[in-house]
Amino acid sequence: MMQTNIDVKNTPKIHVQKDFLVVEQLSLQLENNPILNNISFSLPITGITTLIGPSGAGKSSLLRCLNMLYSTWGGEITIDKTSIKQWQAGEDNLRKFIGLIAQKPAIFPASIAENVTFGLPRKQRKQDTTTLIHDCLIQAALWDEVKDRLNQPAVSLSIGQQQRLCLARALALQPSILLLDEPTASLDPRSKQLIEISLRRLAKNMPILCVTHDLEQAKRLQGQLIFMCDGKIIETGESQELLQNPQKLETREFLRWEVCDCD
Amino acid sequence: MKIILIMFAIPAILLPAACVLYIFYQAMPALNLSLIFGSDISVVGVNSIGQSILPQITGSLLLMALACFIALPIAFSIALFHAFWASQNHKKLLMTLLQMLQGIPPIVYGLCGLIVFVHTLQWGISLLTGSVILAIIILPLLSNSLIHAFARIPREQTDAALSLGLSKLNVIIRIWLPASWSNILTGLLLSMARALSETAPILFTATVFSGITWPDSIFSPVTSLQTHIFYLAQEGSNIQAIHTAWASAATLLLLVLCFSLMAGYLRRYDTT
Repeated sequence: MMQTNIDVKNTPKIHVQKDFLVVEQLSLQLENNPILNNISFSLPITGITTLIGPSGAGKSSLLRCLNMLYSTWGGEITIDKTSIKQWQAGEDNLRKFIGLIAQKPAIFPASIAENVTFGLPRKQRKQDTTTLIHDCLIQAALWDEVKDRLNQPAVSLSIGQQQRLCLARALALQPSILLLDEPTASLDPRSKQLIEISLRRLAKNMPILCVTHDLEQAKRLQGQLIFMCDGKIIETGESQELLQNPQKLETREFLRWEVCDCD
Repeated sequence: MKIILIMFAIPAILLPAACVLYIFYQAMPALNLSLIFGSDISVVGVNSIGQSILPQITGSLLLMALACFIALPIAFSIALFHAFWASQNHKKLLMTLLQMLQGIPPIVYGLCGLIVFVHTLQWGISLLTGSVILAIIILPLLSNSLIHAFARIPREQTDAALSLGLSKLNVIIRIWLPASWSNILTGLLLSMARALSETAPILFTATVFSGITWPDSIFSPVTSLQTHIFYLAQEGSNIQAIHTAWASAATLLLLVLCFSLMAGYLRRYDTT
């Protein structure tokens, strides 16, 4: 991980264990509509877990639950055996701990450098953040493209660059878990490749949960694969194995690009 | 079809324009700098021909400013509740209540103010009473403006900021206010224009027709342009009084127009 001067006094100490993030019987209803239904899975301490499934399966909602952007869910989510609902330092601190990168890059109306440090506390933003900005942009594979224009508005970047800037911004907080919601949707092949390289590198030190519609990408990212449909987990397994030999009918149908009927 | 629409549109533009021109035409005999900056200050309505209406302008502006000062934090809280904490049902209920409040005739507010604040709470006919009533009147308009200003901020930006661990207060200060300041100011200016144009509610609660110039405190009554016009217009036999009423009306119109034009100008800076 990068060397930064992030204040981690409120961040709980993490012990290495097999299942780092555990989700048990997670259910979510929004406006009386069931979105998630008895979801259970776990993320190991390192490595990429890919989440696939048709649109409306509840993948994005699941990420929002893990990040506490939705807080009305039932069931249990624990990180290192601590329930995230009982997170001592509060929800805001938890969100620094679990980085979430959305499908559509949301860039703040500020410079590229300011965007990277946007999530840091005011005191740290006032300090010298040059090294931190450099490290995060390197990790997000964006440094070479923006190193000469760090003070220019971030909105001047292309969508692919903005997406990588969002990744750098999340990394500046030194998260212990990274959640990505279709991070390479609508990106050109080169940007896609750069993000995948970054993710594989980052996954050596932290668990990453990545939602994707791109089955080839799921194959490339390797690791654990979860197939979701209609708010439920249908099948999990090692990505290559699951993509080649799906056991469940719904998975086979989805992989053949047929309509998913989970009922 | 196009011709029919144009035929309807022309009176809609010409009638207000004709009204404005007619007001200024009637006001011309009394419209001069001494009307505002003259040293002879108008104390008693009917004897005030040729005297300065500065106390009336000040009274109107004070009522408007204090009303906005009271309404703004409440409207801000309503808009934030709507944006962050209200469920869909709460939002529907809130919007219905605001629409209902907006539909109540201002004279009814004046009457309520007279009973509740003037008599029951014994605030008397005062600047404070009038401002509170005006604040209640402009509250729906201001709240709606703020609710819509915040609703126009892209959801992705708010979510991204929250995902970075920013508190809701930080999101408001660092994302919402910079993104929506022009819309907030536009709403505020329109509310100021509305407060400035209300007459009926302050007739019962804040103003007197004669005997005073500047208010001593917020518990003192004030004079205002609106009620000054009302008073002078009743002096039908005195042609000079009528001219002064027209001049006061033109001044009030200019003030309201000024706030409305500023609101329109600020819309250019809308970045959401």
